[in-house]
Amino acid sequence: MVFVPVLFVFLPIVTAIIMFLVKPNWIHSLVFVLQVVLAILFMLYVMHLQTNPDDALLVFGGYDVRIAISFYADTLNLTFVGLTIFMFFIVMYYSFKANRKEKKYFFFLTFLEGVFIGLLLTNDLFNLFVFLELMSLLVTILIAYRKVEQSLKAGLQYLLISSIAAMMYLLGVMIIYYVFGTINIRLVTEAMPLYQDTMLMRFAYALMLAAFMVKGAFFPVYAWLPKAHGVAQSSISALLSGLIVKVALYLIIRLHGIMFLAPYGFSTVLLWVGFISSFLGVLFAMSQKDVKQVLAYHTVSQVGLMLIGISFAQGTSFIGGWLHIVNHALFKSLLFLSAGVMIKVYGTKKAADIRGVFKTLPWTGALFLIGILGISGAPLLNGFISKTMIKYAFQDDPFFYTWFQLIHLGTIVSFIKLSLMLFGQPKQSVSVEKSSYRQHIPMTILALVMLVIGIGYQPLFELIFKITPYDVHVFSVQHVLEYALYGFVGFSVYWLFIQKDYRPTKLIREFTMSFPTSNMWLVVVIVLFLGLTLR
Amino acid sequence: MNPYVTLVLILVGMYGLISSTNIIKSVFMATLIESGVILLFLNLGQWNGGVIPITDDISLAIVDPIPQALMITTIVIGSTVTSLALIISIKIFHNHGSIEWKDLKK
Repeated sequence: MVFVPVLFVFLPIVTAIIMFLVKPNWIHSLVFVLQVVLAILFMLYVMHLQTNPDDALLVFGGYDVRIAISFYADTLNLTFVGLTIFMFFIVMYYSFKANRKEKKYFFFLTFLEGVFIGLLLTNDLFNLFVFLELMSLLVTILIAYRKVEQSLKAGLQYLLISSIAAMMYLLGVMIIYYVFGTINIRLVTEAMPLYQDTMLMRFAYALMLAAFMVKGAFFPVYAWLPKAHGVAQSSISALLSGLIVKVALYLIIRLHGIMFLAPYGFSTVLLWVGFISSFLGVLFAMSQKDVKQVLAYHTVSQVGLMLIGISFAQGTSFIGGWLHIVNHALFKSLLFLSAGVMIKVYGTKKAADIRGVFKTLPWTGALFLIGILGISGAPLLNGFISKTMIKYAFQDDPFFYTWFQLIHLGTIVSFIKLSLMLFGQPKQSVSVEKSSYRQHIPMTILALVMLVIGIGYQPLFELIFKITPYDVHVFSVQHVLEYALYGFVGFSVYWLFIQKDYRPTKLIREFTMSFPTSNMWLVVVIVLFLGLTLR
Repeated sequence: MNPYVTLVLILVGMYGLISSTNIIKSVFMATLIESGVILLFLNLGQWNGGVIPITDDISLAIVDPIPQALMITTIVIGSTVTSLALIISIKIFHNHGSIEWKDLKK
């Protein structure tokens, strides 16, 4: 049972290699066997840890714990591992029929699963770097998979900027190694109070945080994300937006909240970064016309909301941010997957050309509507709970509270634009045969899980976080009225401003950041963080 | 070797990334930053007269073996990243006939 974490990493990689080497295409069904085996192992391992907590640490090779590579499982990364197995199952099920003849697709996807779980479980800073670089390589290949021009460019930009960020991270690891003589995360965490105030530790913290900012596409280094997520195929976009981006938030929780214990007044800095990037993400999303671009810019905005939550490093807001990571994975992938079905059937990505989804594809339309309600924070769905918990910490601060509600309003406005796709009459003849019932099963599962979290959050919280959320009230008339009011205001804003397509909207839509400019912003972020830590 | 030389490498790479308009140059600048980081890491782990750590004789003054083990991994990873980036650049050139960032806009 101790060696289960190794299986989490090696089973997907070995399966990927088998699928690549064995010729017949039926071998691709192996991915489902793999997901079931991983899910069973995961449950057994979690139950095993309840009785034997000492087995959480696994040291490889019998070396001294200070220099050996080790894996460590705690509540934080086990939640992520469970989410990873679930999300990969959904994406593989969704894309199985369309991609069943493509060996490379399943090879890279399954390989990525192993690498991603390794990245979550590792307890060694350099091992983390290796997994980060492997992850960016595989993600680049998956983004540029169709080899069309836009996706090649997006893939190259992602690869270069994330490898530069990984180098900044490595500089941070170097400083930590020469101060502590070890790169074991738990040992460094224990010894951190001794050196936290030294100049070197400030440098290490700033460099590593800047690297994670790039990985998570926060303002001002977000430029790669809308490009990459907008051009990849829909199943890959769902995986990237739902899961892969979240690794940056996981690493920020580790670095900021657990290793350094929210140092140098950086909670405020991260709060501001989160607010600015979620506001700008919503602003860009409102002006876009391409369905996938709207969803991709929304990822920037929602990741900012999660950063607001986790910048507090403890308390209700922190848990709200953590929960929002899981919730966003569910509803954003539901939105991307159902948008993928619509785009395939209608043959266009323009939101204005897709009309009457309820008439042609009623089930897809209903699932898309559930996704919209979830992301805009309607009561009874999961987005409502995490958003309520995130704003708990600043509910007495009128400035931040108003700002938060503005972001909420922007989300509603941009999704009103998308929800108009569901109504009306189809503009051209559509071939409904291109959608299949098999694609709807994983999407229905996602919608059901959203409902389960939205209604049964109380026992879930006691199980995972060991707290009882007293301050969240789902069944209250006030929230329903409030949501209806925001919906009304959002609709009027859409009708009066966005739909008219004034000049500012056009300017915002056509704004793109070139690669040299985003590199300049990366340098600015590094210098700024160094300056702020030395303050 | 003086560690400031490696810092110069990193800063030159940063400047190159901001100023270069060519895809191939951007890839090389990323490689330059990586070389700087590798040399800096190795440089801080050794001293004049240190012996390479491939020996059983524990009386010798060997240098710290861990940076060397870590950096050889980094070199391998860096070469894969560079080669993938160059492959994509070649694909872009074949599709588009240009390797300037500004020519790639829509």
